[in-house]
Amino acid sequence: MDEVLAPVPGKITKLLVKPGDNVQEDDQILLLEAMKMENPIFATSNGKIKEIRVKEGQDVDVDQVLLVIE
Amino acid sequence: MLEAILNGLGGLIAGFQALALDWRSMVMLIVGGILLYLGIKKDCEPLLLVPIGFGCILVNVPLTDLMAKDGFLRIIYDAGVDTELFPLLIFIGIGAMTDFGPVLAQPSIFLLGAAGQFGIFLTLLLALFFGFTKLEAVSIGIIGACDGPTAIYVTSKYAPHLLGAVSVAAYSYMALVPVIQPPIMRAMTTQAERQTVMKYTARPVSKTTKMLFPLVITVLGGLIAPKGLPLLGTIMLGNLMRESGVVSRLTKASENEIANVVTLFLGLCIGATMSGAAFLRPQTLIILGLGFLAICLDTVCGVLFAKGMRVLSGGKINPLIGAAGISAFPMAARVVQREGFKYNKKSFLLMQAMGANAGGQIGSVIAAAVMLSVLAGMGVIS
Amino acid sequence: MEMDNTTFGLTMLICGMGGTILTLWVMSLVMTALGRLFPEKAEEKKEG
Repeated sequence: MDEVLAPVPGKITKLLVKPGDNVQEDDQILLLEAMKMENPIFATSNGKIKEIRVKEGQDVDVDQVLLVIE
Repeated sequence: MLEAILNGLGGLIAGFQALALDWRSMVMLIVGGILLYLGIKKDCEPLLLVPIGFGCILVNVPLTDLMAKDGFLRIIYDAGVDTELFPLLIFIGIGAMTDFGPVLAQPSIFLLGAAGQFGIFLTLLLALFFGFTKLEAVSIGIIGACDGPTAIYVTSKYAPHLLGAVSVAAYSYMALVPVIQPPIMRAMTTQAERQTVMKYTARPVSKTTKMLFPLVITVLGGLIAPKGLPLLGTIMLGNLMRESGVVSRLTKASENEIANVVTLFLGLCIGATMSGAAFLRPQTLIILGLGFLAICLDTVCGVLFAKGMRVLSGGKINPLIGAAGISAFPMAARVVQREGFKYNKKSFLLMQAMGANAGGQIGSVIAAAVMLSVLAGMGVIS
Repeated sequence: MEMDNTTFGLTMLICGMGGTILTLWVMSLVMTALGRLFPEKAEEKKEG
């Protein structure tokens, strides 16, 4: 089980996966807006998206769990 | 009667005659057109290149006297460029737009903003070897500050005849940062270094600190390098207005109306200095070349310094962020962020790169201030 | 002061690079001190 954490504080602008999707390591999974820039966040391992803990438009803090891959 | 008519008609033909006589004007009209093309079609710093390009065209149509004593371009130039007013007014806007939070959260990042300026002094030395005078070399070196207003401030004061070349070089290369930096960044680092993951330790900065910062920098910087206080003071004024939160009308005006109006006039005036006689000289090509070199050297020194910091920190620092220590804000930080992703998808360098980039903004102003004050100390300028 | 270009260039290099780095280093020390003297308080964080 792998938790993908927010590397910096920001706002989730777009989720690119749904629970149940299969992902490879380094696939783009969501977009995080920080410092007026839209930044891609990538999967940290291979697996299936177990749960997504954030919604589009939500503000997140650094190290906040964004989603869980199993 | 006939004579009068012929003379009158002659007034309408004289322009073409003059153009045919001076090939340089024709070339400069094309140069102006190229700048417009770069700005409009290629989206290369259009806010500057469009007025510059058009000013260049205006001033190279012969017999128009726009830059003569009472010409309207001369009036604007004397009011704002000759007096140094325009770059300083823009600086207020820049300070109002910049968030120095990431730098304040990690002050050691600041030093990368110093290393990113070394290209200025190295290029100065090179320019001297190419036969430029001391003050000309200073104005060429300052292209390495990667900061339009700073370059314009120094050049219009100490080498105004180079203003066209220096400005075009400064703004063109700033726009080319995403192209110039990555190869250098790659060449100077190992794969392992490039893949270093930097953790963002969010050390939040209090509002008080963010407000004291511009004050302290102004006074301290002004004491160390008094000749640079106009530059330092204006950017910090903008920042203080922003951080205080109580003068949002003034802050907004500085970021928007003032900055926009001045940018228009400034660009026009820079273009107006680009007459064929002044611009079409071998010197100009050398200046363009040296300017390019200055930015390359900035990147080299920044990355090298960051590599040194990496060693001292036990491998915790990704040397790529050194490239963001130049004043091209926020472009250089974005370049570093993208390059970081390229080598390691898990690496998120944005905050540290922004810190270095903001440090580069201050660094470039300090470098210019130090340079001018050292020159004053040596007696080269009064 | 009369001086040749090389002396001038090297002087500028040393004073310029040295001055810039020293000044920024001093400023970074001051900022660290400021950060410690005026730390972010909890209420400020809640205001956002």
